[in-house]
Amino acid sequence: MQVTILAIESSCDDTSAAVIQDSKIRSNIVANQEVHKEYGGVVPELASRAHQQHIIPVVDKALKVAGVRPEELTAIACTRGPGLLGSLLVGVSFAKAMALALNIPLIDVHHMKAHILAHFIEPPVPSFPFLCLTVSGGHTQLVRVDAPLQMTVLGETLDDAVGEAFDKTAKLLGLPYPGGPLIDRYAKEGNPHAFTFPMPQVEGLHFSFSGLKTSILNFLQKHTRADKHFVEKHLPDICASVQHTFVQVLLQKLEQAVVQTGITEVAIAGGVSANSALRAALQQKAEQAGWRVFIPAMQYCTDNAAMIAMAAHFQYLEGDFASLQMHATARWSIS
Amino acid sequence: MAIQISCTSLNELPEVVEQVLRASEGIAIWALEGDLGAGKTTFLQAAGKHLGVREAIQSPTFSLVNEYTLPDGTPVYHFDFYRLETAEEALDIGAEEYFYSGARCWIEWASRIEPYLPVPRLSIYIHRRDNEERIFEIERYE
Repeated sequence: MQVTILAIESSCDDTSAAVIQDSKIRSNIVANQEVHKEYGGVVPELASRAHQQHIIPVVDKALKVAGVRPEELTAIACTRGPGLLGSLLVGVSFAKAMALALNIPLIDVHHMKAHILAHFIEPPVPSFPFLCLTVSGGHTQLVRVDAPLQMTVLGETLDDAVGEAFDKTAKLLGLPYPGGPLIDRYAKEGNPHAFTFPMPQVEGLHFSFSGLKTSILNFLQKHTRADKHFVEKHLPDICASVQHTFVQVLLQKLEQAVVQTGITEVAIAGGVSANSALRAALQQKAEQAGWRVFIPAMQYCTDNAAMIAMAAHFQYLEGDFASLQMHATARWSIS
Repeated sequence: MAIQISCTSLNELPEVVEQVLRASEGIAIWALEGDLGAGKTTFLQAAGKHLGVREAIQSPTFSLVNEYTLPDGTPVYHFDFYRLETAEEALDIGAEEYFYSGARCWIEWASRIEPYLPVPRLSIYIHRRDNEERIFEIERYE
């Protein structure tokens, strides 16, 4: 029998729905102005009220694009956590209601595990065990993955996420928020060794970016005092140097994890996977140290329901279902 | 009346935390202000440590709100409204339900939601001097 699952993601800003049929993604819709235009109405930027307005059009479109009728669904999946409670509630309540109405099983998915399982949407897929570094605006987490549903967090940020560090540095440089991708763009013209910033000293496989943010701030203030046009004159060099430092922090911990575990299958996930310096550094590492490196397609790196669907598929195969008493869990650890 | 507390290094943060806790006697809401890099999250990490929060206190800039647990099982809600474009967006995430729950609420970038800040509250303004030096300006609003 064909297994067809509808998955809903609403853990933070974006509302998304996807359909998976026997491990193949049939549709993956992320709410944006365009989707909404077809149904009319104004879209608020953020928060749970936005999810309430998005969820019906997004689910409807995901089913239509996949060519699937609700009665043909085998199960409904949703992100249970971690995330913003009010936002999660919208997806969880919707999924429960639909599962109850269709009398099919409900699957509760862990958002961070799903980011990692996004690697199984398209080949090449990593083999177990592998290491995954999930880097985004809200997360910086290093995970050991032994099986689709068996993961252990080896390290995570103690303060700011790396994507947030990028965005806030951009803000200090007078770039619009969120400016992480702009740093990447300016860095292409700059010298990554023009300026040096102290590497954070953090025990084990944990990360810290807050102190680095303050060092960058001190550095900018010192130079701006001497020359108020310092930032405009040196923007590419500053961006390249900051980016180089962030990437080194990530890479250093990843190398440490490889040495500790002996695992050389290395994957990255999350929105910051789009950063070109991080990609280049990983590719170089792959060639030099013989790692096998995996980077998913961009549409599966940022928050999306296809990854929730992929995770739900694995959970379906193991009979890992949720009861209708399941509730959204804002804080939920991986292991 | 505002009180000023000077803090010349990170090592002095635990003492600042104790003074702030004394000044906020009977008040569950802390509204924090200060520029990027002033040390709002760092101060709250020290406060969390003092109160026995076991979870890692991470920046909620992206998540908007983090939840921690105190040793007696009661929650602490840690907000960051840096990303908000309008104060009303705070209502959309259900901020008032958290604020009036009676639980401790720590609010970074509080001025972004000024009209919705509850009373009583303790306002904590962190002024940045050089490097590690900070001035904490605290005031009760009742």
